[in-house]
Amino acid sequence: MRKNVTLYMLFSLLHVIASAQNNTVIKLVHKVGDKTLQLHTETYFNQFNEPFTVHKFKYYITGLQIEYENGKKKYTFEKPYHLVAEEDSTTKMITLNKPLKNITTISFLLGVDSLRNVSGAQTDDLDPMKGMFWTWNTGYIYAKLEGQSDSSNAAAHYFSYHVGGYKTNENAARKVVLKIDEKSQSPINEIAIEADILKWFVGANEIKISNAAVCHQPGVLAMMLADNYKNMFTIKAIK
Amino acid sequence: MKQTKAFLILLCMVCVGIAFITIEKYKPTPLKFIIPKGWPKPAFDFKRNPLTQEGFELGKKLFYDERLSKDSTISCASCHQQFSAFATFDHPFSHGYNNSFTTRNAPALQNLAWQKEFMWDGGINHLEVQPITPIVAENEMAETLENVILKLKRDTAYLRMFKAAFGDATINTQRMNKALNQFMVMLVSSNSKYDRVMRGEDTFNLPQRLGYEIFKQKCASCHKEPFFTDFTYRNNGMPLDATINDIGRMRITGNKNDSLKFKVPSLRNVDITYPYGHDGRFFTLDNVFEHYRKNMQPIHTTDSLLKNKLYLSNFQIGQVTAFLFTLTDSGFLKNPKFAAPAYSKPTILHQH
Repeated sequence: MRKNVTLYMLFSLLHVIASAQNNTVIKLVHKVGDKTLQLHTETYFNQFNEPFTVHKFKYYITGLQIEYENGKKKYTFEKPYHLVAEEDSTTKMITLNKPLKNITTISFLLGVDSLRNVSGAQTDDLDPMKGMFWTWNTGYIYAKLEGQSDSSNAAAHYFSYHVGGYKTNENAARKVVLKIDEKSQSPINEIAIEADILKWFVGANEIKISNAAVCHQPGVLAMMLADNYKNMFTIKAIK
Repeated sequence: MKQTKAFLILLCMVCVGIAFITIEKYKPTPLKFIIPKGWPKPAFDFKRNPLTQEGFELGKKLFYDERLSKDSTISCASCHQQFSAFATFDHPFSHGYNNSFTTRNAPALQNLAWQKEFMWDGGINHLEVQPITPIVAENEMAETLENVILKLKRDTAYLRMFKAAFGDATINTQRMNKALNQFMVMLVSSNSKYDRVMRGEDTFNLPQRLGYEIFKQKCASCHKEPFFTDFTYRNNGMPLDATINDIGRMRITGNKNDSLKFKVPSLRNVDITYPYGHDGRFFTLDNVFEHYRKNMQPIHTTDSLLKNKLYLSNFQIGQVTAFLFTLTDSGFLKNPKFAAPAYSKPTILHQH
């Protein structure tokens, strides 16, 4: 009897090890240009030479989908809404319970689809408790970048970009599609994706902290920021 | 080996037994929502949040619980008082945390099941997210959702009531709001004298009848029956108050054409919901009538129906007032079902 139990335990341990090896992990790395993001302590400079620190960096990844086997198969991440927060490292590791190979694209919605914005109180990562929710003008904040900058004219030199909006002409959710050219036959263990905060300031629009330090509602500025930061992701390494 | 087998069988039986007990236990009592005769279909989604006696009782407990505020002094009911049709009686603004004041007049809570948007500017698009706003507002209950949920989880009475209402003791924002919503949608006011007259159970006296005719001509296009509001946003010529700078609907839409537009308020129970207007600037109905016939300041966004103000003679004002008083629903204002939990229980006589 005891032998049986030991054998069973050994098998389950082996199973755990085997399945661990068969996961594909997406690792999100937050950068400011070529530097790795450090909250609160580091001062960075944007493209307009405006100094800034970062206190908060959060965003929603919705409907993460991966095309693999050279685009023949699709894998959808079990968690439909995933909130990534710089201060919580567990949110930056996305474990896909499947060994994937020959990945061609990784795609997701950066933000929250309009339906969830109008369907009442949600749970899990969409719980309004997570602080990514406007109460007075219902809707999710899709991405948040907060900090301080000497270039900011707002009170105490804070700058804070809260981007959201689901209505027509205000929709700030953006589709992100990352293409991969990887032809290895062995299952992938880890995909490192970098998100560069400097992309918030340039791209489709030039946004200077000195001109626009605060975005706290849906509208033109929110959509300008979204059009910029939707390009912040790049795939850095596939192992 | 034999022992193990016996143990396994026993374990199975226990598991099945537990499963049965759990299934047995969650049997909430459905609560019927009655649509008053002739009223439209409610907007509230009863499938998403089926009303039960247990959910309603939980919602009521939450509604009257001061612990939902930062310093445990303010409950929903502090500003939404039953005797004032769940508005704040006799106050233009309501008291918030730490001697603060709100910047808008608390609306009556009635017939919410038929509303799609909430607040004076319609900024809230679903009843289920409405309770969050006063809980977290700095000048209202000033608490965080994390703390509220934490306080509820520490209270065994709540654990029991959430389990009874939802099947297990999970407490989160969604469940709290669903329970609150169950209480809120049951607040139906449909039994005023006006309603009884419409149902043929009562008759207006002469001033009330004349007032009703004038009302239908002059007021009913915005204050539409049976809710006495058409739920639209309109500028009725109230000039901007520079101390509050409330631009109304424009804050939500960002559209200049919505400047100074506010939701048309319901006139049900109007007699006891004074003061009036989004900022409570009219203390009496007479102030309101003077505004419409004289003091109004039309601008480009003022409603087309009011471009030339709204003439009412002294005689008409008297008749309309008599009619408006028929909208008071005393059964609603005194219904023990909606009173604070301690007051709504049947009296238990302590006998030795």
